[in-house]
Order: sequence, then structure tokens, then C-alpha cells
Amino acid sequence: MTKDFARSTLNARHRPVLRALAEAMFSPDGEVVPERLDAFVDDVDGFISPASKTLRFGLVLMLFAIRWSPLLFFRFRTFEELTVDERVHHLERLERSKVKQLPLLVVAYKTVLTMIFYEDETEQRAIGYPGHARERWKTALPVVQPRREAIGSEEAAS
Amino acid sequence: MTSPAVAHEHAHGHERAERERLPVIRGREQAAPFSAKVDVVIVGSGAGGAVLARELARDGRSVLVLEEGGHYAPSEYGAMTPSNSFRRLSREAGMSVALGLGDTPLISLLAGKCVGGSSVLTGGVCFRIPEEVLHTWSSSLGLGRMTPEGLDPFFSEVEGICHVEDVPAHMRSRATELFVEGADKLGIPMKTMRRNTKGCRGAARCNFGCPNGAKMSVDVSFLPDAVAHGATVVSDALVERIDITGGVARGVRGRFLDGVTGEPRVRFEVRAKLVVVACGSMHTPILLRRSGLDSVHIGRHLTLHPAVRIGALFDEAVDGWDGALQSVYTDHFLGDGIWLNGVYSPVNVLAAAFPGVGREHRRLVKQMPNLAFFGGMVHDDGGGQVRRWISREPLVTYKMVKRDKARLLKTIHILGRMAFAAGAREVLTPIFGMATVKKEKDLEFLLEDKVAASKVECMAFHPLGSAKMATTADAGVVKPTGETWAVDNLFVCDGSILPTSIGVNSQLPIMSVAMMLARGIAADFERYSSRA
Ligand SMILES: Cc1cc2nc3c(=O)[nH]c(=O)nc-3n(C[C@H](O)[C@H](O)[C@H](O)COP(=O)(O)OP(=O)(O)OC[C@H]3O[C@@H](n4cnc5c(N)ncnc54)[C@H](O)[C@@H]3O)c2cc1C
Ligand code: SF4
Repeated sequence: MTKDFARSTLNARHRPVLRALAEAMFSPDGEVVPERLDAFVDDVDGFISPASKTLRFGLVLMLFAIRWSPLLFFRFRTFEELTVDERVHHLERLERSKVKQLPLLVVAYKTVLTMIFYEDETEQRAIGYPGHARERWKTALPVVQPRREAIGSEEAAS
Repeated sequence: MTSPAVAHEHAHGHERAERERLPVIRGREQAAPFSAKVDVVIVGSGAGGAVLARELARDGRSVLVLEEGGHYAPSEYGAMTPSNSFRRLSREAGMSVALGLGDTPLISLLAGKCVGGSSVLTGGVCFRIPEEVLHTWSSSLGLGRMTPEGLDPFFSEVEGICHVEDVPAHMRSRATELFVEGADKLGIPMKTMRRNTKGCRGAARCNFGCPNGAKMSVDVSFLPDAVAHGATVVSDALVERIDITGGVARGVRGRFLDGVTGEPRVRFEVRAKLVVVACGSMHTPILLRRSGLDSVHIGRHLTLHPAVRIGALFDEAVDGWDGALQSVYTDHFLGDGIWLNGVYSPVNVLAAAFPGVGREHRRLVKQMPNLAFFGGMVHDDGGGQVRRWISREPLVTYKMVKRDKARLLKTIHILGRMAFAAGAREVLTPIFGMATVKKEKDLEFLLEDKVAASKVECMAFHPLGSAKMATTADAGVVKPTGETWAVDNLFVCDGSILPTSIGVNSQLPIMSVAMMLARGIAADFERYSSRA
């Protein structure tokens, strides 16, 4: 068994921004409990930390840019100071922006956050994914049986 | 008496247990410096390196394979969640990109970093290099052995070893069936995919490591055989430099990654008669440059096969996860450089690419059982470049030519039309920030060159060509034998040597070319070692 490396990327300044992002993306109506959002931030940190120093630096820089991005639309507050609805609206504007780099800020974090958020089995069941209890797979998709002659030739070869 | 089904399961269980047993020295557990002397040292354990290791070990040479990534047995990676698989098996946790220059998308670049390299992450799809491509290589580029007939025995042998088989029709998910229906209505013929699997149960998560031990990636096919013939595989071993004296490669040196921080720490040094670089197209140029090679072609001509995928929302549940990940394809648009194939991924990975934020995003995610996906890729012109940069990872840039951008948008258009023809109610295009498309005619903008390429969500799985093979030192980095033009006894054997984009998935092509080169090296080994 190979043991995992243990490193961390996000510090106390980055975490509230990431948490605010997660809240806007997955809990616009308060459906996710605060403790889960905190644990989620740890999961994201764990995910990005095996990356190279340069990439981690880039990701942290992007969080900084998201934090101050409301200024681009003349809102003199940081991202985490906006209400959840304002954050959602703001992220939608960034995602649709014609300025090449702005949609990427959203897309980069949305990709990582969504992948980790919907990895949770409860969330997966809520969206209709049955996990291992997949009926069609069990019934209609039998294990492929090797052809007789193939078994014969393998046995002959061994 | 045992029933045939039980006996079959038993046989499979036994085979899988055998595949589990790949003895690997874990570099992250090494506390003391290490040195070794072997006939052949191979840097990288992916598709190219693993085949070469098997062939030369079978030829009786002492072979050492050094791999930067960690080692995970199929039972370990098969149990990983997709995000854990990205973290442990992929380079940059799956977040590498090629920066787009000019009117080019930012391209997400996936590559493996583990024992078995990218082959552990493939969808299992296997194609031979198309004949037209081989004709160009053999006639226009002068690579005389690269003909369909010349490569045929190697394709066949590799296909046998890693068990390339047709995906049976009953392995198609309902989502794939719908796309086939849509294609049929548009007169687009679909063909059955061939994949390197044995006992595939259609879990549709091949890109994250097969949970059923069914995908015959090199860590369960070529490497165990190499080890059985005396090769040694070391994981977490980052090679930093090739030792070259008097124009001859003499060995390599590097450091094992620390078990806690993952940073390079304990040093190692290997003396060898032959050094083979098989680090993949993104890292082979880095190691060659770091070691002092200066051909202008190193790192250039990188091709990617830029790929896109669309989602189609149906009224019925299609449960796309019930079936083989990729089971059909069409080469109907090959003349346009477009290749289409069925795709799927774990639901959380698919959800990551949905448009919108908050409620709109959740609305789509909640319809996951009704969403089918289909993908396509473009046979591109080598506009990529790999450069050394401030960190261990390279800076990869890519300039997409106008023709390829048009091909990419046309791919999305065709896929969208197929979805509507199959009865989709909404289509999710890979255009950032764009709402779902509800009518076929609303796809027309894709043909009008109005979309900036930077708006297209694009990915690539087949980086090739960054240390290409050529018949003269002026035209490429390696000779037709795989040896570098610049340094004796230094070989390159991975996707980077393919001289042009091939337009089809790259693992079988790389493995077959590697086998051809390996046989050549084995035949000439005494001559090479006399120079060492
Ligand atoms: C997600 C995904 C899906 C794919 N699906 C398919 C498919 O369905 N069909 C198909 O045909 N192809 C597919 N491919 C492509 C195919 O896997 C690759 O083209 C092929 O495996 C590349 O082989 P390679 O030997 O060039 O490099 P790799 O297999 O990438 O191996 C290179 C190895 O070298 C190691 N390395 C790099 N630098 C160093 C160093 N300095 N020291 C030590 N080790 C080093 C790396 O960690 C890596 O393990 C897919 C690829 C990916 C990523
Ligand atoms: S479809 Fe599933 S069982 Fe088949 S090779 Fe892929 S992951 Fe393994």
C-alpha cells in the first residue's frame, strides 16, 4: 500500500473565499450545513496540494482575483462579503464575460469544487446515481464470457 | 461439480490476483542514497517504457525502470474516488493545461504519473495508426519501416498481449444507443470500438483506474512480464539528469520523492549501457534539455488531438453509467479531420463541466440520469510547444490553426445535431457561460466563426510529437532506430517520437512503435554496448 504525501496549500486568508464560493455554488438556499462546507474546504485543499508549486501558486492567485473581482463591476466589497445571491449573480457575470481570463477564474474552481462536492454518496443519490446498486448493469450486462477457442488457446499457451 | 460460470469467475479471480502482484520498490520509502549498474535504464513506466522494459528483459538484459509517480495496485486505484485518482495517479492532480496562444482554447491536458503512466487512465480504446498516416510517414518523411505492412506484426502482437477485443453491443449504455440512433437518422454510420479489456463489466470509470481489474493497462500486462523476466521497477524516482560523456549516454541521476512532502530528497545514480527516455511528450523534452541536448526540435511540433464533448438531455432516463465507457465511434468525418466517439465519466466529473452557477447548475445536475454524453476530437496540426519553466512541470503552449478551430466547432455542431436527431430536449454545449440549446437551428452559430476559441471547453489526452523521429538531424530529434541524433546510446521511446498527429487514440500506436524499436535495440545491443 502506498502512503499519501501530506501537504497543504490554503491558509486562513484563502479559506473564507473558497467557502464563500462553495456556498454560492452548492448552497444558494442554505441546503448545505456549515460544518460540511468547512470540511469541504479541507477536501479541496487536499485535492490541489499534490500539484506543483507553480500550479498551487496560480490557484491561490486565482482565489485572490476572485476575492477582489467585485471591484471590476464597481462593487466595493470583497467576494465573501456579498450575499449568497449576489455571489451567484457575480459568478454568472464572470462566467459570461468577454474578457478571456474572467470565465476561467470561475471554470477552474467550479470544476474542482463540483467534482469533489458531488463525490459525496448522499449527494450522488440525491441526483439519481444509484452507486453500486445498478440494476441494468447487473442484469442486462453480463460478464463477457471468453470464447471457447480463446480459452483453449490460452490454456495451450500456458 | 463446479459450474462453468463459477469456474470462469475463479479463473478470473486467479488472473486478477496475479495482476495484483507487481513487485515495485517504492522510492518514497528509501532513506539512503542508492546506486545501481544495469544494461538498460528506462525513465518512465508508461506505454512506451513498459513495452521496451518487457522486450529487453525478455532478451536477457538487466533492466531498471525508474518512475516518478507512485505505485498503486489495481485493487487500490480501483477503489479510489475520481478525485483521489486524479490526486494520486495524474500529473498535477489532473489540472495541467496547455495555454492557448491567439485564437486558441485553454486546453486541459491529462497525463498519468504513476507506475503504468497514462495507460492506467485510458478509456481502453485501441486503434492502429491509420494507413494514410503511415503512408505519409513512410513516403513523404522517408521513415521506410513505418508502413502498414512493416508495423502489422507489432500491432498484432501488442493487441494479443493486452487483449484488444470488440466491445460487445450489449455493453452499450442506453445513452450510447441513443447517440447511435441519432447518428443513424443523419446517415452517419457508427462502428464498434475495440478496447484492451478482459472481463470488462461496463463500470464506465476507466479513466480513473478500472475497479474490476479488467483494463489491461501496462501495469497489469507488460510490466509484470518485464519483472517476471528480471526487470526492476522503482516508483517515486524522479530522474533529473542524463549523464553524458564523450557524446555517449552513461546513466542517469535523480532523487526519490520524500514520503511526507512529495518533494525530491534522497539521491540515486544509475550507470547503464543504454539510457531510454520514456517520460511522455510533456516531460521527455524537459529531461533532454536539462541534460544538455539542444536540437531546435526538442519540445516543438507537439500535437494534442483537442477534444470536446456535449451533453444531451432526454425525457427518458438513460443511466449513461450503465455500460462501457466508450463503445462506439465513427470515422465518417475523417476527411474533415474529425473523429467522434461515445464517452461517459463518473457523474461528479461530468457535473463539473455543466454550465451555470447555483440553482441553474443544480437543476442540470439533478437531471443526471437523463443526460447522455458524446465526444469528438480533431486531427490537429502540431501547434504546441513544451518548454522548461520555473517549476518541475513544463510550460505547455498551443496555437490552434484556423482550420482546427473550425473543425472543433464543427465537431460540436455535428454532435448537437445527432443529439437532437435522437430526441434530446436540450443540448449542453462546451461553450463557457452559454445556456443550454433547445433547438437545432440554434446550433448554427457554431459554423459562423463567431465564437472565440477561448470560450470553448477543450481537453486533450494524446500529447504527441515533441521529440520527433526523422531521417536527418536537421529534421528531428531521434533517428528511425529511436536513438537520439545528438547522443549515442540515448534513446527516446514514447509518444514524443511520433512524427505527426495520428488522428486516433495513441496507446496502441505508441506501444507498437515501442515494440518495433525494442526489437531493433535488442538485435544491435552488442554494438551499442561496445560504445558504452
Ligand atoms: C485520461 C486519459 C485517457 C486516455 N484514453 C486513451 C484511450 O482510450 N486510448 C488510447 O489509445 N490512448 C488513450 N490515452 C492516451 C495514452 O494513454 C497515451 O498516449 C500513452 O499512454 C502515452 O504513453 P507514453 O509512454 O508516451 O507516456 P506516459 O504513459 O504518460 O508515461 C510517461 C511516464 O513517465 C513518467 N516520467 C515523466 N518524467 C519522468 C522523470 N523525469 N523521471 C521519472 N519518470 C518520469 C511519468 O510519470 C509517466 O508515468 C489516454 C490518456 C489519458 C491521460
Ligand atoms: S468499463 Fe468499467 S469494467 Fe470496463 S474497463 Fe472500464 S472501468 Fe473497467
